[in-house]
Amino acid sequence: MASASTKYNSHSLENESIKRTSRDGLNRDLSETVPRLPGETLITDKEVIYICPFNGPIKGRVYITNYRLYLRSLETDSALILDVPLGVISRIEKMGGATSRGENSYGLDITCKDMRNLRFALKQEGHSRRDMFETLTRHAFPLAHSLPLFAFLNEEKFHVDGWTVYNPVEEYRRQGLPNHHWRITFINKCYELCDTYPALLVVPYRASDEDLRRVAIFRSRNRIPVLSWIHPENKTVIMRCSQPLVGMSGKRNKDDEKYLDLIRETNRQISKLTIYDARPSVNAVANKATGGGYESDDAYHNAELSFLDIHNIHVMRESLKKVKDIVYPNVEESHWLSSLESTHWLEHIKLVLTGAIQVADKVSSGKSSVLVHCSDGWDRTAQLTSLAMLMLDSFYRSIEGFEILVQKEWISFGHKFGSRIGHGDKNHADADRSPIFLQFIDCVWQMSKQFPTAFEFNERFLIAILDHLYSCRFGTFLFNCESARERQKVPERTVSLWSMINSNKDKFKNPFYTKEINRVLYPVASMRHLELWVNYYIRWNPRIKQQQPNPVEQRYMELLALRDDYIKRLEELQLANSAKLSDPPTSPSQMMPHVQTHF
Amino acid sequence: MFSLKPPRPSFRSYLLPPAQTDDNINSQPKIKKLEPVLLPGEIVVNEVNFVRKCIATDTSQYDLWGKLICSNFKISFITDDPMPLQKFHYRNLLLGEHDVPLTCVEQIVTVNDHKRKQKVLGPNQKLKFNPTELIIYCKDFRIVRFRFDESGPESAKKVCLAIAHYSQPTDLQLLFAFEYVGKKYHNSANKINGVSSEGGGRGGIGAGSGTTSQKTPLFETYSDWDREIKRTGASGWRVCSINEGYMISTCLPEYFVVPSSLADQDLKSFSHSFVGRRMPLWCWNHSNGSALVRMALIKDVLQQRRIDQRICNAITKSHPQRNDVYKLDLEKTLPNIQEIQAAFVKLKQLCVNEPFEETEEKWLSSLENTRWLEYVRAFLKHSAEVVYMLESKHLSVVLQEEEGRDLSCLVASLVQVMLDAYFRTITGFQSLIQKEWVMAGYQFLDRCNHLKKSEKESPLFLLFLDATWQLLEQYPAAFEFSETYLTVLYDSTRISLFGTFLFNSPHQRVKQSTEFAISKNIQLGDEKGLKFPSVWDWSLQFTAKDRTLFHNPFYVGKSMPCVQNGSVKSFKRTKKSYSSTLRGMPSSLKNGVIGDQELPPRRNSPILKHKPDPLQHTDSHNSDMEQYFREWFSKPADLHGVILPCLSGAHIKLWKLCYFRWVPEAQIHLGGSITAFHKLSLLVDEVDTLSRMLRQQRSSPLEACYAELDQSRMYFRAQGPHSTSGTPEFLSSSFPFSPVGNLCRRSILGTPLSKFLSGAKIWISTETLANED
Repeated sequence: MASASTKYNSHSLENESIKRTSRDGLNRDLSETVPRLPGETLITDKEVIYICPFNGPIKGRVYITNYRLYLRSLETDSALILDVPLGVISRIEKMGGATSRGENSYGLDITCKDMRNLRFALKQEGHSRRDMFETLTRHAFPLAHSLPLFAFLNEEKFHVDGWTVYNPVEEYRRQGLPNHHWRITFINKCYELCDTYPALLVVPYRASDEDLRRVAIFRSRNRIPVLSWIHPENKTVIMRCSQPLVGMSGKRNKDDEKYLDLIRETNRQISKLTIYDARPSVNAVANKATGGGYESDDAYHNAELSFLDIHNIHVMRESLKKVKDIVYPNVEESHWLSSLESTHWLEHIKLVLTGAIQVADKVSSGKSSVLVHCSDGWDRTAQLTSLAMLMLDSFYRSIEGFEILVQKEWISFGHKFGSRIGHGDKNHADADRSPIFLQFIDCVWQMSKQFPTAFEFNERFLIAILDHLYSCRFGTFLFNCESARERQKVPERTVSLWSMINSNKDKFKNPFYTKEINRVLYPVASMRHLELWVNYYIRWNPRIKQQQPNPVEQRYMELLALRDDYIKRLEELQLANSAKLSDPPTSPSQMMPHVQTHF
Repeated sequence: MFSLKPPRPSFRSYLLPPAQTDDNINSQPKIKKLEPVLLPGEIVVNEVNFVRKCIATDTSQYDLWGKLICSNFKISFITDDPMPLQKFHYRNLLLGEHDVPLTCVEQIVTVNDHKRKQKVLGPNQKLKFNPTELIIYCKDFRIVRFRFDESGPESAKKVCLAIAHYSQPTDLQLLFAFEYVGKKYHNSANKINGVSSEGGGRGGIGAGSGTTSQKTPLFETYSDWDREIKRTGASGWRVCSINEGYMISTCLPEYFVVPSSLADQDLKSFSHSFVGRRMPLWCWNHSNGSALVRMALIKDVLQQRRIDQRICNAITKSHPQRNDVYKLDLEKTLPNIQEIQAAFVKLKQLCVNEPFEETEEKWLSSLENTRWLEYVRAFLKHSAEVVYMLESKHLSVVLQEEEGRDLSCLVASLVQVMLDAYFRTITGFQSLIQKEWVMAGYQFLDRCNHLKKSEKESPLFLLFLDATWQLLEQYPAAFEFSETYLTVLYDSTRISLFGTFLFNSPHQRVKQSTEFAISKNIQLGDEKGLKFPSVWDWSLQFTAKDRTLFHNPFYVGKSMPCVQNGSVKSFKRTKKSYSSTLRGMPSSLKNGVIGDQELPPRRNSPILKHKPDPLQHTDSHNSDMEQYFREWFSKPADLHGVILPCLSGAHIKLWKLCYFRWVPEAQIHLGGSITAFHKLSLLVDEVDTLSRMLRQQRSSPLEACYAELDQSRMYFRAQGPHSTSGTPEFLSSSFPFSPVGNLCRRSILGTPLSKFLSGAKIWISTETLANED
């Protein structure tokens, strides 16, 4: 690092900020309190040295609550503040021992889920770090200590209730469902058919509940094909499910075959149902060994299967690790582009987007209905269906629409947030962890870059979602499926992330948003356009962080204010003039008919 | 003024619904009536009928039928067929939508499918087969393809040979601009001043009221330089006229600025010691008194120290604080012109020649391997260091280079774009190009390679536009012009009609055009050489409406107040963190840091000292610079003051509009930053209209002049046909350009053409051809 020996006075981060303060630094500790949410309690505080990878060691006081780690610099010339929800912590390690030599060699090293590490040095005398280590471990990993996640202690109140944002019946009604081809079934009301599916499912009208039960036997974890989205005009559909249990022997299931044909028959003009298996074909074949597999041509005459070559959760996890290696703490400089290429992160993004484009195109063109699955149908499948829906249906590009999309395709359909993120769990090396949802949000960001006017939300919205994916402040992303959330009474006992966002919507709005109905968005899934999301992945680096707020957005907001000001002044002038001349007044809106129309 | 070409019948304004025409391939008889639109002095050299222009690589379904013409100015394809799949076209008034100016031709390849032969055509060459196909590789990244399946084989061959011949002239006076301007003089023999369009260029972009049609200073006269001295507040500097009539140097302008303390006599005697007799040229003055100066090397070894000392002393004397001079040897620190050319060839190869899909997997590393972005960054970084010297250290800076007319042009102009907001306006930017490129003797003729002598070609000017684009991308509100303007400016270097980018020096224009005038019996009178049209007269190329696309709606002009929370403020960039300007620091500094990995060096105290240790002399300079950059980035930037580039790998980007605009696969339909540009333009237009109404209300409420309401500096109008609906259908990431028909790679039998054209081979083959002459 070129400048590790010097210090920066000013750098501003989302949760970490350094304010230039003219106040007397000596009294600060006593006069300023640690921010606290209702329900948050202070556990301990301690003097430490924060080893900032950008600014060097900074002496500070750390406060640990049951929700966050908060550090305030004790140095007069810098007012660094670290504010890290404990949920973000993935791993806490002790560095150095009581006898270690060297400055700042004894302390704690904290690995975070959001692309950063935190390092604290403590005094070697008297096992000073033990208390901090234990407090942090207890509250960052409450599951191992029979403690509740903070979301269950949070007593925040918002004037809107995010839990009511998604109502499956309403959402299906918005899509025009049920209709005479599709029905809503309550067969899974008590999660008996499939414990990782939502209570409410949309299935072909002609399939009886008995049929569904028989199909469930043949689908991994009983995740049967159900409807995700229906095209309002051509009535082709996007279906999602898990892999068929074909196995080594190539088992067949007449009910499953018949069921897929029923799906196809909801569109009379279509001769083949398209099945997109998200996996690389090699992986699909390999899955036969564990009882899984894919729909063979001989068994499913009226279906056409293609593989989308998207890799599994382990590949994605390793890829993101490599991204972290090149961006934190130092950004690989001399060979930035080739280093970025070697992480393959953007290549994976490209494959996911390409897959979703194919799904969207099939449906939008009315060529065929589409069935999407991977192995269990809760990772890649969720990515593909939700992205395709985002491309097809402009409703999902609004703030509430996007919340509904996430709530529906991810949360209710059992993307295993609990396992993939490891909320409150100390097992940082758990093979179940994977940044699948992050990858989806990245894809959404790539789309919003290519279509700057198509989304109601801005980058801050996406970053807020990711921050609270880990924070455990809200109940939204906790647990693996709807049945578990219901057992834990999550909606009753926790606050929804959407409550916070929807009560503060302006902050998350894209000023360039132009509402358009029925426009299908096809992003260009090419390496020429895909970019690393610098404002997310490299946001901790004060030298890389881009302008906040976005100068272009800011310019737009200023012009809006200027316009309103002019209109006001014009109206005042006209009023004054007309009063003077006693002429009939002309309002500016009459003179400029467009003024009021398109904003 | 001469008359402009009338709109072609097939042109459809975006305002009108597309004309539904049933004309198609069947209406071939019509083709015979197709006539080219010619400029004064333009003559048709050869033509062939029943030619097919290929639109798509994989299908002939969209191909257009028409006539292919080679004139002494352009390759023209004339068709009655409407352009398929194209909803909008930005029109150049000098060129039809299928036309390619001869000076824009990079390489001509003829192919015979049946004989499986292909040949790169040089001038005066024989072609032993009848071509079935002609592929024209253009300097502006287009690839245009024609097929001759239905045309007369002999005429097809003749046209190909004519194109090869006329696009590779052996003499400067064969360039069309001479013929054109000669004709102008003949036509207007009774007028006093020849072509009135010279005199250079009103900044003629703005049609609207807000923008003044300021004249771009050309720096051909004493007074332009004098005004620039006064504008920058330079004291201790004077305009020097010793080179009047190019008596001292043929590659310096007639007037330039020197330290006041140097007498003409001294300068004359020193001049012999400089390469090309290129004495120090003043570029610009900081308000703190420090000056930017460019200078060639002193070739006279014996005199070197003495003259160098005299010059430096004189520059020091011109500084109000008598501060020292900082010298920067550009050749030691920056890539040379050959390396830049090599990078450009690779970049172009990657962006347009290589098959799209095949390059996807290794796109990022291939892009890195071109080194283009690395060079863009290097120039930005060095320019930022010069800014530091001038702005923070208050030192005058001398840019040194062998002849001082290549890298110096780029660095001198970038420094001024960063330091002086005037150069971020359209008129200012144009005057900068006049001052630091055209007048300073940048060898446009050789570097653009108008005469196809490849060894001197180098895209330094494009590199400058690219670096400017990076700044525009990082500070969108700091520039009056748009990226469309920069792109069109690049294209204009490829039209041999303007005098601006045609010559190696002002003297060359005078000398060559005087010769030409004598040979053509043109009376020059008092004029020094022929007056060619200036590129700054944008009305020659674009309608007033189209020119509004040059305006950047994000720009916050000085006069533009902004309202925030009800109170009017001047616009400031918000707090922005320090970027990695220091990442490219000299290695001495990097090595100065103990252990350069995750942990910062351990200190005796965690509380670090801010001031550098005065004993550490070696590093203090760099850490001061670091400190300067850090502090600058920690504060909100004043968009009317200094702007500095962010230089990390993630900040230096590929200029997609310029390099991808013809690539169909890379086009984002109804997307790209243009959609936000569009949305903002509507708002700007509305605010402008309101502000005009407000003014009128105040001044004369009774007679509000509605005529003024029709003027706008925005291309997209609030009241226009698009205001109510969303994004107009014709917008795409390529806008205002269209890839349709402009990039038709050949999927060739046998050897892929891309291989055949790869890398340095282009240059070898062209040389080989040249030797065959």
